[in-house]
Amino acid sequence: MIQPVNIMSLLLILSVLFAVGSSGIIPIIKVVALQGIIVTVLPLLLHQDLTTGSLIFGAVLMLIRGFIIPILLYYSITHVIHKNELDPVCGYNASIFAGLLIVIASIYISSKFSFPIIQQTPLILPAAISVLLGGIFFLIARRKAVTMVVGYLMLENGIYLIGASLSKRAHQVVEFGILLDVLIGVMIMGIVLFNIQRAFDDTDTALLRKLKD
Amino acid sequence: MMLEYLLFVPLIAGILAFIMPDKINRLLLVSTGIWNLGFSFYIWFERPEAIFNQYFKISPEGLLVLLVISFLFFIVSLYSISYLEVTKLSNKSVYTGSMLFFLATMSMATISDHIIVFWIAIEATTLASAPLILLHKTKESLEATWKYVIICSVGIALALLGSVLMTISIDIAGVDVSLTFSALTDSAGQLDKAWLKAGFIFVLVGYGTKMGLAPMHTWLPDAHSEAPSPASALLSGVLLNCAYLGILKTSGILFSADLGVFTGNVLIAFGLMSVIASATFILKQTDYKRLLAYSSIENMGIIAFGTGIGGIAAYGAILHLIHHSLIKSSLFLSSGNILLGYGSKLIDKTGSLAKYLPKTFVCFFGGIIGLVGLPPFGIFISKLLIILGAFQQGRYIVVSILLVCLLLISAGLMRYVMKISFNPIETTIALKEKPLLYLPQLTLLVVSVILCFWIPDALYQTIIQSISSISGGFNG
Repeated sequence: MIQPVNIMSLLLILSVLFAVGSSGIIPIIKVVALQGIIVTVLPLLLHQDLTTGSLIFGAVLMLIRGFIIPILLYYSITHVIHKNELDPVCGYNASIFAGLLIVIASIYISSKFSFPIIQQTPLILPAAISVLLGGIFFLIARRKAVTMVVGYLMLENGIYLIGASLSKRAHQVVEFGILLDVLIGVMIMGIVLFNIQRAFDDTDTALLRKLKD
Repeated sequence: MMLEYLLFVPLIAGILAFIMPDKINRLLLVSTGIWNLGFSFYIWFERPEAIFNQYFKISPEGLLVLLVISFLFFIVSLYSISYLEVTKLSNKSVYTGSMLFFLATMSMATISDHIIVFWIAIEATTLASAPLILLHKTKESLEATWKYVIICSVGIALALLGSVLMTISIDIAGVDVSLTFSALTDSAGQLDKAWLKAGFIFVLVGYGTKMGLAPMHTWLPDAHSEAPSPASALLSGVLLNCAYLGILKTSGILFSADLGVFTGNVLIAFGLMSVIASATFILKQTDYKRLLAYSSIENMGIIAFGTGIGGIAAYGAILHLIHHSLIKSSLFLSSGNILLGYGSKLIDKTGSLAKYLPKTFVCFFGGIIGLVGLPPFGIFISKLLIILGAFQQGRYIVVSILLVCLLLISAGLMRYVMKISFNPIETTIALKEKPLLYLPQLTLLVVSVILCFWIPDALYQTIIQSISSISGGFNG
């Protein structure tokens, strides 16, 4: 089971680089969907004791994380917001460079930890941390409101992967509760986005500057 | 009777509220409020077991916050009856439904013992309260809701990371213990200290965002000023307490793991930052609801400060929590009357409150007197205890900074309340002061005065128990 785990971790790292360099929102949503699928599959491969229950549960999580949430986002973009540009705070070349720095930082941070699971699959922790940091990058460096939702989702994917791969305990009910929160959260963000688009004719967060001291 | 009714009854009532007509909705809001208050008292005295006892359990600090929540919700639901009659809300069933969901999620947070279930409850409070802020659908309220949902969701996601790191601290140490606050506090000494510290920082930043600690407070003034006033009263009065509950419980684990000095200093630093941030913004406010919101940041800072000092100051912090909830909710309800009467949130557009809305004036002025910490209101005692505690511990520098900031904040608050109350202006007031529009505020203030002079023994014992792990052997 080591080889597929390493390949998937590598895919996660590459997906972060791809997402930060992308200029359109739709490819990024596809990346988030792919990450959602990988982060639910990886813990299943790591922990040997697979039961029917845990497989079904994993499938449900994957359905929500990899399909329902990205489809909701996709819908909100194609039907509500018609523009596909991102208005980055920093340029795309600089973003790719930042992405590389994120990967290096993740590898450096993970080298500080020693877990039994890391010695077998050395890429999983750097992958999780890069997804997490990539999410934070999206929250900071893009001005469109939709990309903030994407950033939040990536952040959550990263945290989930850290929790599910490093911690030995399975908390199925609890994990489901977390995901339910995320799902409803994305729906509410979608509703707010819809209203912002109607009121401002745009979803650039630079327009949201009325309330200040 | 099982503990989970506390969560399920308001949840079902909330679903009903979306189906039922407006008239029944108001009744639903009040009757759920009454039921919830009654059930909270039942929980206080009977201490029922939960069915899902690996996730839910009664804790003394949870009981305190629960009682404050149910009492305030009851009062706010009474105010809502008249408020919904006089105000122009486009969608009243969203208001009642979200209020009830909000109650359900906050109650869930108070009884959650599992650290991730607690996280789920806190994130759910964000989601349940977001529609309340969006209710007016103006550009400002859209901006406020967007900031609230994004900043709090991201902040709370960091608290999840913190909780995960605490899980790792169990695994690394190889201890077999369930992932609950109570179990972790009991076996805190065996956990891995470095991971515990890292986890605490993330938890503090995460729940601190929700609690309104600076520098993560930026959503708070917007959200609290844009929500309808009864919702602001709940957001400011009780929601912040729920987030504090998470910080208090996590600090309890760290104090039990002999990391008290580290935890205390971090809490003091965040508390002081909040008080300083609030002092700089409160002096030049133009909007009275934002003024109250900044004062909430200040008070949360004081609570974090008191908790960090420990000992008698921790007792003061819990008292402060209770009295701040009572007084701040009362003030937000009164500010609702002012907004309905004058039609503007700007301080410059108001004036002569004592002449035009005399009953609201009594509540508002009394509330501000209580807020700045003058007797006979309870905040006087709680601030005094926190300051005395800090002096006892020899923390002269931090307590002097705190005192200077408190002085500035009091000056700012008093200056604006005088302007609102007595600044002569000619205007027409669009509001008649019905009994339910001022009696709820008055009740809250009276309760604060009573609690200042007489604390029931059950309440006193519960406060002592709730700070037992962080107060370093303080008893009475």
